[in-house]
This record gives sequence, C-alpha cells and structure tokens, in this order.
Amino acid sequence: MSTTENSKKPAKPKAPRKKAAAARKTSARKAPTSKKAAEKTVSALIVGAGFAGLGMAIRLKQAGIEDFIILERGNAVGGTWRDNQYPGAACDIPSNLYSYSFAPNPNWSRSFSGSEEILDYVHHLVAEFGLEKHIRFEQNVAELRFDEKQGIWTATTDKDVIFTGRAAVMAQGPLANCSFPAITGIEDFKGKKIHSARWDHDYDFAGKNVAVVGTGASGIQIIPELVKVAKHVKVFQRTPGWVMPRPDFSTPEWNKLLFRKLPASQQAMRELLYWSHESMALAVIWNSPLTRIAERIGKWHLRRQVKDRWLRRQLTPDFTIGCKRVLVSNDYYPALQKDNAKLITWPIARISEKGIRTVEGIEHQVDCIVFATGFDVSHSGTPFPVVGRDGRVMGDDWKRGAQAYKSINVAGYPNLFLTFGPNSGPGHNSALVYMESQLEYALKGIRKIVGEDLKVLDVREDAQQRFNKGIQKRLAKTNWNSGCKSWYLTEDGFNATMYPGFATQYAAQMADFKEDDYETA
Amino acid sequence: MASIDLDKMLEKIKGTQWALSDIDWDAPGAELITEEQWPKLKEFMADLMWIEHVGARAFAALAKKAPTDTLREIYSYFHAEEQRHANAEMALMRRWGMLEGDEIPEPNVNLRIIIEWLDRFADEMPVYVLGTVVPMLEIALDGALCTFLLETVKDPVCHQAFEKINDDESRHLGVGFTVMEMQGRSASYIKMVQMMARVMDPRLILGIASYMPLLNKMRDNVIAMGLPEEKLYKAMQKFERIGGRTEEGRRNPWFQLIKQHGRWVTNRSNKMYHVPVDALVKITGMVPRNALPAVPSWVKELTYEPTTTR
Repeated sequence: MSTTENSKKPAKPKAPRKKAAAARKTSARKAPTSKKAAEKTVSALIVGAGFAGLGMAIRLKQAGIEDFIILERGNAVGGTWRDNQYPGAACDIPSNLYSYSFAPNPNWSRSFSGSEEILDYVHHLVAEFGLEKHIRFEQNVAELRFDEKQGIWTATTDKDVIFTGRAAVMAQGPLANCSFPAITGIEDFKGKKIHSARWDHDYDFAGKNVAVVGTGASGIQIIPELVKVAKHVKVFQRTPGWVMPRPDFSTPEWNKLLFRKLPASQQAMRELLYWSHESMALAVIWNSPLTRIAERIGKWHLRRQVKDRWLRRQLTPDFTIGCKRVLVSNDYYPALQKDNAKLITWPIARISEKGIRTVEGIEHQVDCIVFATGFDVSHSGTPFPVVGRDGRVMGDDWKRGAQAYKSINVAGYPNLFLTFGPNSGPGHNSALVYMESQLEYALKGIRKIVGEDLKVLDVREDAQQRFNKGIQKRLAKTNWNSGCKSWYLTEDGFNATMYPGFATQYAAQMADFKEDDYETA
Repeated sequence: MASIDLDKMLEKIKGTQWALSDIDWDAPGAELITEEQWPKLKEFMADLMWIEHVGARAFAALAKKAPTDTLREIYSYFHAEEQRHANAEMALMRRWGMLEGDEIPEPNVNLRIIIEWLDRFADEMPVYVLGTVVPMLEIALDGALCTFLLETVKDPVCHQAFEKINDDESRHLGVGFTVMEMQGRSASYIKMVQMMARVMDPRLILGIASYMPLLNKMRDNVIAMGLPEEKLYKAMQKFERIGGRTEEGRRNPWFQLIKQHGRWVTNRSNKMYHVPVDALVKITGMVPRNALPAVPSWVKELTYEPTTTR
C-alpha cells in the first residue's frame, strides 16, 4: 500500500501564502519561563515544530486528540526549512510529493519549490489546522525523563520549565544541528564565515571574493546563486557527487486551477510521482542494471554540460550511485564554468587569516567562506538526554550505533515515539511519505495509551533485536554499505540511518502494529 | 626494512604541510646566480618544474586507482604536493628573472607527448604500472637534479625551498617503495602473467614509447647543463638497490622490468637500446609544435603566486 493512500481528511485547498503571513506574526507566542511553571499533563508532548512535529499535531487533531503541546526551541515554526533559507535553497523532491497527502497544496509555483514556498506551506499548515495555541516557542528541551510509576514523560527545558505528557514524540529532526567543520585554523580566519543552515541575509556578496566549502546538496544550490552576485567564487570540493538533471518547470495557471477544482487530479499526479520515485530505488538502493543506467544518465549530464576533459574528470564521482545522496541540478555545472568561478579539488591544508591554504601551496584569499558542510547527524546519541525505565539513558544504549524497533520505538523507553528514528531514511523517495507512515503508527500507539489508559507501552527487547538483525542483513546488500564514506554511516561503517527497501515496504511495515511485540502495563 | 605504516604516514603528511607563502621569495640572495649560470639554469629549472608537474598528474591517476582509501588519500596529497613543488620552482624562476610576465615555461616536445599520454591514458593504467615508474622517475631525475642544483646554486632561498621539497620527496619515495613491495606479496607467476597481459595493452605500449625517449632527452639536457652523467646513473641504481632490498620488492615483476630498463639506460654501450631510442628523440624533436594538440587545462593550474584571489 502506498503511504499516499493514507489521506484522511483533505484540507480545503487554499492559497497558503496569505495565511502564512498571519501565522508568522503570531509565531512569537512564548510560554512562561519561570521554574516549574508546568501546564497540566497532556496526552502527547511533541518536541519540535518542523514538518514532523506539525504533521503529528495535525494527525492527533484529526483523530480527536486535542490536548497536546509542541515544544519548539526557536521562535518560529518550520524546522529545517526555517533554518535553511540560503540563496537557491529548494527541495530535490517534487513539491506534489514533498507535502502531506492529508494537506495538499494545489498552488505550488514550480515542480521543485524553493525553501521560502515550502516554509509558506508549513505556515499554512499551522494556520489551517489551528496549531498555534499548541506551540510553546523558545522552549529548548534539555532532558526527557520517564516516570514509570505514573506513566508520564517529563520534558525539562534549558530554562528549567517543565512539561509533562502521557506520550512523547521526538520530532526534533535529524538535520536540525550544524556547526563549522573542524578544519585546522578555522578560528584564525578574519573574514566572514557563514554556515549554509544559518544564513546571514544581511551580508552583501556583491563585489566579494567568496569560498564555498562543500559540494553536497546545499553547496550545489548555493553556488549558482553566489556566482550571479559575487565578484569571484572558489568552490572547494572533496568528493564529487552524482548530479542528475532536474526536471524543474513552473506550474501553469490552468494546472493550479485543475488541482483546485478537481483534487483527484492532484492525487493522481502524486501517485504518478510516488511510483516513478519508487522505481528509482532499484537503481539507487541496490546495485542492479538500473544502477548502471542511472550512472550513464549522470555521466551524460556531465558530458553535455562540461566540455573540458580535466574539469569533467574532477567532477566524475568514483563511487556507485546511491552510496551517497544523489544530487539534482541543471545550473551547478554551468555555474562552475563561469569566468568568476573556479573549482578547487586540492585538499585543504588549513584555513589562514585571509583565506584557505590548499596542499598545492597556494593561499586562496577570500572575503567570506560559506560552509555548505551539512549537519551534525548523530548516529549514536540523542540531542538531549533521554532517560527511560530504571534510569537507563538512550545515548548509552546507542553507543555502538542507534537502534530502534521499526525506527519508531526503543525498548526501555515506553510511550515514546521517534520520527526519523534509526533506519528510516529514504534514498529515493519523499521523506514526507515515510513521515506519514511514522505519524500513523505513533497515532495508533498514542490512541492505545490514552484509550486503554496504559501507563506503559514498551516494545520488547527481543522484538527490537529481531527487527534490527533483519534490517542490518538487508542493509549489507545496499549501495550505502558498498564502501564509500557518507553521513549515513558511523565511523565504523554501521548504518543506523537508512531504510533498505521501497517506501511501499516501509509503509507496510508501519501499517502493521503488532501488539505482541509490546509489553503493556 | 619493513614496509611503512600507511595510516601513520597519512597523518604525518597532513601534519607537515607548507605553503609558498612560508618562504620570502624577495629575500636577498638572488644576485648569487652568476651570469654564466643563468641561461643553463633557466632551462634546467624549466625541465625540473615540468617533471614535477608530470609527476603530479601521474599521482592523480594513482589516486583514482589506489586499492585502499588511505592510499587514495595519500596519492591525492602527493598529487597536490608535486604541484606545489612545480609552483615553488616557478617562484624561484620568477625570483631569478627567468619568467616573462605570467608566462609558463614551454615544455619540450617529449614532455608534451608525455602530457598528452597522461591526459588520455594514465587513468586507465593499473596502479602498479605507474606505482613503479613514478619512484624510478623521482629517484633518478628528481634526486639527481635536486642534488646537482643545490651543489651549484648558492642562493639561500633556493636551499630553503628545496629543503622542504626534499622532505616531501622522501615521503613520496617511502610510500612508493612500500607499494612496490605490496605488489610483490602474491604469487610471482600469476603476477607475471597479469603483467604480460597489461604490457600487450596498446595504450601502455604508447606510454612506453613516450617514456623511453623522454628519459634519453632529459639525460642529454642535464648533461648539457654540466651534471656529471655518473651522478644520474648512480641515482638510478639507487632505485634498484632500494626496490630490491626485500623479497617482496624483488618479486614485483614491474620492478624487475623497470630495473632492467634502468640498466639499459645507464649503459651507454648498449647500442640495441640507445640507437633506436636516440633516433626517437631526434624524430620527436622534428615534430612541429603546432602539430601537437592543445595542452590540457590541468597544465594551466600552475602558478608562482603564493596567494591568489582568482
């Protein structure tokens, strides 16, 4: 079954932009910050007001559960899309698939929308489903602790404010934290440093010499935009990725009208996109004849856009497609060949006061360094201490690599649901498709806890182990575990990130809530 | 001698980086180059610079084919380090007034042919072919030329630069000989058969046909500059001595082949070898420059500027 069939109550199609503006104005609602200013215990505590947290809230509301709280560390909703507002930021999954099936938007302006439009959609969700009153902004959770006697989760913020809930949903996102990379001398640099996920919109790039470190998903979106405005852009690449053509078109008005008047047509489009992405799993996840075809398309794209043999060599990946994230862009290669751009593939020796020194002995002096170096993805810890039964700490349990049951529950941590938990990452399809399956599963669990008045709904240790054994066995045969280094793997090569299968398989796994695998009290 | 630990070597390489800006290229001492030395030195430096640059490209090819991640990273560093040497040698040439404007010294025809070959075929060569040829070139040409240069040039900046270059080169050779020994660890017979299959590869035959006259041409050039022929041969014999110091090293068939070739090169009385190869040098010398294809863009990445904004 496709997760896209999970649609419960499609919202009335409305233009999200108008409501979004109103939502932003009201987004500064703050909770009291005095110590122990707890509210009454709610059915569910949700950590994070990004796509996952808000999606969970919508599904709870649609299921008639109104007493929940969303704790958000920032002062606005949107998570990754709020943070990643760098020039050129966009989703590399078509918008009709990178949106919730239970809240379709007929007005996407392009097939691949930019981050601002996606953020508008997020604000539209808040306004449309009346989520503002549930959100507590500037509440940065410092600890989650389970009280087995009462069957209550307690979230303590860094300001010592306490919130309690019968169930908790960790929806803080896998790509929420970032930091500058540990390059020798980075603190010596006297110019401007910008991280792609914390963009400084006040910095004027006109007339500036700029270095971009990193050529992953963010880097290849930023570079074409910087080349348009900066005096000169130097791109420091460590490993070239596979870049595929991006079929990006603006949506004609008649198309938007059709989707508005006939929502089934948009659903049909979503199905089409879903199944075309599903077919890509055969090329991206496993090494198959389709992998070779995908690589040929990538090489054709490179050959068509880059005529110089040496530059083409520098940009040719040396790993199986899919092993690292597949990139999509039509304007990255052309941007690199502009007169004011240059690709540098020499290893970086250090950062100096005035720029970047590479191993060929030259100091590349710049006014600004943009670090498009990705996120701090934790494979073996949690963003804050999570304390379960008998005082066990999830970070300790995960020291040798994160593990969960069906990516969503962890044995010893009852009534707790993870979104984008271990082994839930897609390599070929929309993250939101996976997310919907997780939300449905969590909803089932929360309903059970509330409906049956359970204090404890804890997955069995043996069920979790059995599940992980199967997952790791399947992962061993995938392209992610085929030898390249990527953020999907731990230093030891353990894959705690990706789901080795089709989105349809994942949805089937999540559709089945096996009560026998749980211990209840 | 036991082979070196490549992981430790990689850490050492990363920890001993230097940049052109570490050297004061305007410090006094340039005047120590005599008028008599200057024209010969100009040609000598141009050849040396090109050898480094060609070596850099060979390391780039090795990085593509390296059997382990560590070795791949080491070769990526060596690629950049050889480029650094070429850049530093250009900076010396500029210091000595041997460059006009932004001009890169012109490579000779044999070098042009090798550049073309490297550009087209080097990435397709098995790692152990270049992995054996490169140490030979480094030890023979680099070693002999650098020693000769330091004996004849008094400029302290030149000594300062070559102290750093030689430190890098000693690591390159250490890794080079270790890799040669790695190749010798499996059954010789199988390796021999595999090698014979490789030798039949027309792309490799083309490479050999370009490499042999290059060596003889360089020999003629350095001798014309006053380097005693014996010094060059002594350096080449060092390859045989170090490469053959262990059982594994001796069992590497590529080592045996290159060693044998080294013996032919250093034996002037071997007419069977030198007459046809010298003839090739003459023939290639007659190739008009404009008949050669345009130099690949990696050549244009050479620079003598320690810092750049473009």
